[in-house]
Amino acid sequence: MTGTDRLGPVAPAGLAAPPRRRLDRSRTAIARGIGRALAPLGGLVALVAVWHGVSATVGNATILPPPLAVAAALREMLVDELPQDVAASLVHLGAGYGLGALTGLVLALLAARFPLFEAVIDPLVEFLRPISAIAWIPIAILMFGVSQGVPIFLIFYASLFPIFVNTLDGIRRIDPRLVQAARMLGASRRLVVSHVVLPAALPAVMSGARLSLGVGWMAMVAGELVGAEAGLGWRILWHQEFFAMDKVMATIVAIGVLGYAADAALRLLQARLLSWAPDAGGGR
Amino acid sequence: MTWTLRIGLPSATLALLALVWEIGVRAGGAQGIAPYPSGVIAAGLRLIADGTALAALSGSLGRVLIGFGIGALIGVPLGLAIGTLPALDRAIRPITDSLRSIAPIAWIPMAILWLGVRGDAALFVVAYAAVFPFVVNAAQAARLVDRAHVNAARALGAGPGLVLRSVIVPSTLPLVLTGARIAMAFAWGSIIAAELAIGIKVAGHGRSVAGLGQLMVETLYVQRDVNALVFYMLVIGAVSFAIDAGLRHAQGVLLPWTRR
Repeated sequence: MTGTDRLGPVAPAGLAAPPRRRLDRSRTAIARGIGRALAPLGGLVALVAVWHGVSATVGNATILPPPLAVAAALREMLVDELPQDVAASLVHLGAGYGLGALTGLVLALLAARFPLFEAVIDPLVEFLRPISAIAWIPIAILMFGVSQGVPIFLIFYASLFPIFVNTLDGIRRIDPRLVQAARMLGASRRLVVSHVVLPAALPAVMSGARLSLGVGWMAMVAGELVGAEAGLGWRILWHQEFFAMDKVMATIVAIGVLGYAADAALRLLQARLLSWAPDAGGGR
Repeated sequence: MTWTLRIGLPSATLALLALVWEIGVRAGGAQGIAPYPSGVIAAGLRLIADGTALAALSGSLGRVLIGFGIGALIGVPLGLAIGTLPALDRAIRPITDSLRSIAPIAWIPMAILWLGVRGDAALFVVAYAAVFPFVVNAAQAARLVDRAHVNAARALGAGPGLVLRSVIVPSTLPLVLTGARIAMAFAWGSIIAAELAIGIKVAGHGRSVAGLGQLMVETLYVQRDVNALVFYMLVIGAVSFAIDAGLRHAQGVLLPWTRR
């Protein structure tokens, strides 16, 4: 985050005393490092503290379960139903996202290669794209019944468009001189695609993949909540039927943690694949 | 590609697809099970004429606007603060990151418990969905404000109010408006999701507050009208298209220098 440091105060107040001597400087650096490591924790601690405070004020463990109760519920669920819910959700996500991202990628490559194909597919995409995956839920329930087909279809549909649009855009933005240079040096069309076009479009593809995962994740929770009989989203309503709000909250927390982990994994992959392109989120 | 081809080819593609679809359904005798274009149009005309679609649409749109407004009121100041104060950024980022990873719709049971089924629960979900794009984009916008511009204005004697009005706001507005477009898309998707979830919860308890989502649940389980379902989907798509086009137009009018 060089952009953060360029302006404004460089370090949190109180930690950035101007270094007078060498020793002082290394000590400030350590203090600053500790401060940087602790500041995020401080935020989370504050969040939990506020949650606890509000919950104590409300004084009703059903309306707002205190953090400790939710932690206990989470621990209980961890040895009980949570692993199978997570597994079911991951199966939905894997199948839907895998299919959607792959289809989006292939369609974008075809559209970039064949103008006629693009002329046909583009209006379809522009027609369907504003219709969110959520709007498909009733039709999906009709098509698949209340089953895992609903979340898988929704994730597929949701993740298809961001990666398609981003990949196509990424390919269009490739510097034509790169392609021409490779051609001039005698590279075959295949070599140009595999060694120039794909790497050059990769940053756009990866950011499309992350966008897709984000909307796919939301579609998954909504699809499971309304139209499936397995997975984390379904489990929320299941606990609600028993008015076990501590478990509802625990499931919500699990959804947050897993969603974050999924994005972090993709971010790591992005950093790995794009270590040569720091501007595109690589090499952090 | 010429203009006629650019307009004609997409329309021809869509028209051809609709025609094939219509013939396929009629040939298969699958009317009533599968939706088909002329049935969708008929259902649409009927639902527009008796006012059902419009009433539900205005219910949903009203809640989206309120939720979007709440999201903006919380998100923009918070984002600007985060973007200007790195210490605050480090402290708050884990909070926003962890809350952002929770799908808004997951809050439905809690929101119903806190605010009831009568529309307010959906409002909570919408505001929750809308707030994060505002926070993220406003923070990024504040980070990207050119320090030199601020210093120059200050050196020329501008007070904090004038700096805010004629330096900070113009330079952050483009990104904040982009955030507004994302937030609006999220908000519109979430209202439908929330209304569907609430609709399924209260199905059979008589009709609650009607939005498009509740109407879709009723159409799915009570009337079993596929054509009407597809019509509602098209309405949802048309609305999000119109909203995005409107916001893009607003961006062009408000911020002519960002026009491409």
